[in-house]
Amino acid sequence: MTAVPTVTPTRPASRPAPTSGPFTGAVAAEWTKLWSVRSTWWTLLAAVVTMAAAAGQLAIYAVNANTDDDPTVNPGIVDVGEIVAGALELTQYVVLALGLFAITSEYATGTIRTTLRCTPSRGRVLAAKAAVVGAVTFLTGLLIGAVGAAVARPVLGEWGRAPLGGTVADVVASAAYLALLSVLALGLAAALRGAVLTLTVLFALLMIVPLSLQEPGITVLTRIADAFPGVAGNHFLAGDTEPYPAAVGLLVLAGWAVAALALGRWALRRRDA
Amino acid sequence: MITIRALTKRFGAATAVDDLTVDIGPGQVTGFLGPNGAGKSTTMRMVLGLDRPTAGQALVNGRPYRQLRYPLHEVGALLDATGVHPARSGRAHLLAMARSNGIPARRVDEVLDLVGLDERAAGKPGRALSLGMGQRLGIAGALLGDPPVLLLDEPVNGLDPDGVRWIRRFTRGLADEGRTVLISSHLMSEMQQTADRVVVLGRGRLVADAPLADLIAARPASSVRVRGPEPAGLATLGARLAADGAAVSPDEGGLTVTGVTAGRVGDLAYELGVRLHELTPVAASLEEAFLELTAGSVEYAAGPTGGETR
Ligand SMILES: Nc1ncnc2c1ncn2[C@@H]1O[C@H](COP(=O)(O)OP(=O)(O)OP(=O)(O)O)[C@@H](O)[C@H]1O
Ligand SMILES: [Mg+2]
Repeated sequence: MTAVPTVTPTRPASRPAPTSGPFTGAVAAEWTKLWSVRSTWWTLLAAVVTMAAAAGQLAIYAVNANTDDDPTVNPGIVDVGEIVAGALELTQYVVLALGLFAITSEYATGTIRTTLRCTPSRGRVLAAKAAVVGAVTFLTGLLIGAVGAAVARPVLGEWGRAPLGGTVADVVASAAYLALLSVLALGLAAALRGAVLTLTVLFALLMIVPLSLQEPGITVLTRIADAFPGVAGNHFLAGDTEPYPAAVGLLVLAGWAVAALALGRWALRRRDA
Repeated sequence: MITIRALTKRFGAATAVDDLTVDIGPGQVTGFLGPNGAGKSTTMRMVLGLDRPTAGQALVNGRPYRQLRYPLHEVGALLDATGVHPARSGRAHLLAMARSNGIPARRVDEVLDLVGLDERAAGKPGRALSLGMGQRLGIAGALLGDPPVLLLDEPVNGLDPDGVRWIRRFTRGLADEGRTVLISSHLMSEMQQTADRVVVLGRGRLVADAPLADLIAARPASSVRVRGPEPAGLATLGARLAADGAAVSPDEGGLTVTGVTAGRVGDLAYELGVRLHELTPVAASLEEAFLELTAGSVEYAAGPTGGETR
């Protein structure tokens, strides 16, 4: 053994100090990663197409319901915002894929090891991903909301209505819904790792379980279903006052997103990468 | 400086790293050796905070990796898997790494230049990279933050002879600048040309930790290979050598003799009138020293019947 190797040895002094904080850096890295794979663009395109198709179809249904011989179902004049919210039922799965893939693709390709070497704090990595996924899916929500409204309005014709203020509010609401849902998907994916498993759990949380709970007449079960993220989100989007105010629906959904992130962080900390 | 204390990692019932305590100091290249499955990669992953130790700890410059805020400025690493997304270009991969640690984008061009990847190669998606290009990209990533500590898991894997020579010179240069350089390999011969010191693992346990020169001094004795056209004559010669106290082991077409010089074997053959076609002194390589060191662990792994020690 040679003598005293304790002091940090001679290093080139030219090395520049970091130009950004670790969280800012992690966000910038996630942003760079997201836009440097083509699948992101395909997902966005798929979201736009799905929204256009779903909104168009729902608008046609509304018109038909008003003009056919059956007098029992007559929605009357509908807001395009309602059509957009309805079209999210399907479109949300395309958008939340952005949150899902932000982590499952890292495990599938092994890049998670690079990511965690660059940002060893699991909480920081997940927060950075949540920031990027949240922002991108919110903007995507605005975009596809506008697309949905633009498609639905002419199809609805005399049965439609698009008050500027109300429509903008509806589009912003659906963007917020999508952003929170995508962050929820991100947190879950961090806990579960696999895309298929995560998607299955999401389906169960958003549709299967609440649908089976919503038995007409059994109030307790319906109340439980109201606490599920998809149902809460729909109460928020519909501007309901029952069973709770619309804002509470948003809060419930946000609570789910935060809980999923906490679960994901716990799993990332515990497990080998 | 890498400090490893009583580090243990179990995967279920299997122990990959077993109570490992070792320091990897600055200013030299430390070779991290061991047969396949010895636990080299697992140890490195624990140093990098990727795998959680079952017990013990690994510190980099006195701190656990997971607590580092700008780790690329402190530790550069090349792992056995490249960690590049198949659809992302090598350049974007490095750019994302650089941004995460507040490293200016121009540094990406510098390291690409350093490892000899041109514009075209750096623009290829991960899936299109050859093994050697992937290795170079990985090394570029390790150098991004100009770190004082480098961990390279089998860096010469997949490199052409030029690349191998480059790695050798490069790692030597890094160590001479005072950095801590840890390089894993399962080829002792490779380390013979690169390392100042070797740490040898066998089945997760520390088998040796010594300056390379000490290991070379302690290597097994040289032997002599003897070949000839007359099996009977060779047998006679072998018996005579054995009687003289040499260790003789017959192999196809000849003998391997340890403990005597080639000259003595030649004289004896002349004396006995045995025709020889070959008489070659064989210097014991470091590889053999290594095999000897890890023989116990390898044998153990292969079971009592399947042991192949030499
Ligand atoms: N994630 C894992 N799950 C289960 N066992 C593992 C895992 N990773 C490694 N092992 C086991 O741990 C042991 C050590 O593996 P490791 O990859 O560290 O060896 P190595 O020295 O790097 O070998 P090589 O020279 O082949 O790269 C092996 O027996 C391996 O099968
Ligand atoms: Mg290995």
